Amino acid sequence: MSASDNDTVATSEATSDALLTPAGGSGDPALPDADPASSDAVVEPVDVEDESDDDAEDGADGLLVREGDVAGDYLERLLDILDVDGDIDLDVEGDRASVAVVGGQLKTLIGPDGATLEALQELTRLAVAQSTGVRSRLMLDIGGFRAKRRADLTSLASAAAERVAESGAPERLSPMNPFERKVVHDVIAVAAGVRSESEGEEPNRRVVVLPDR
Amino acid sequence: MLEEALEHLVKGIVDNPDDVVVDLVNGRRGKTLEVRVHPDDLGKVIGRGGRTAKALRQVMTGVGGRGLRVDVVDTDGR
Repeated sequence: MSASDNDTVATSEATSDALLTPAGGSGDPALPDADPASSDAVVEPVDVEDESDDDAEDGADGLLVREGDVAGDYLERLLDILDVDGDIDLDVEGDRASVAVVGGQLKTLIGPDGATLEALQELTRLAVAQSTGVRSRLMLDIGGFRAKRRADLTSLASAAAERVAESGAPERLSPMNPFERKVVHDVIAVAAGVRSESEGEEPNRRVVVLPDR
Repeated sequence: MLEEALEHLVKGIVDNPDDVVVDLVNGRRGKTLEVRVHPDDLGKVIGRGGRTAKALRQVMTGVGGRGLRVDVVDTDGR
């Protein structure tokens, strides 16, 4: 198995749904990673079923724009089928494509604690990879759910950072998903006198805020 | 609508979208969406450790209600 090509999956969640596992490592072709830092980041798209000639979109940004386009089409069609009103905003944030579904009644697409949103992001990334031939790290937001979560976590993390810097006692935060932990780590990274680590296994993996030394 | 939604979600992630078939079956224990794909795409629809099938289930129960089941049918033996 090619477990090494994606370090985020090497956790216990793989054991949750015991389904028939594809034999002989079929279904998971090791896709090249889109690494904008390296000069060979732009892999020639394979399996392109797009009618558009994308000569105009070259370079790493072109790939991210293309990711957004594919993701937008995939989600827009889903909204159509479900008869859900919603607009799709495409953007590039840092080294990732960012896709947001806004407006309308979007609760069913967010789900409890964003579970359906996470699932849709996963599927959208797969659809993008299917079309571009490159693994996608795009971020999906629906109805501002992530934006709000990010704001809440930012203030939670700042408060924890202040307490730990003052008391010198480590603090364990509640279990969070990878997106949430990243938000917290990013806040702690720029806060004075503290650092952060993650501990435990999904879905109980959590951030620990520690005093600097 | 549910079949069409699932069919669209699956078609976007496989090598052989024309071979994707989704049927809605009304059974005694409620509704089941049966998904059939090209044998070569079975791994893609199930995903590592069942991850992709789980995501498809999550979205479809979110849209169609908790009682809705999603079965990926292994057509290899036919």
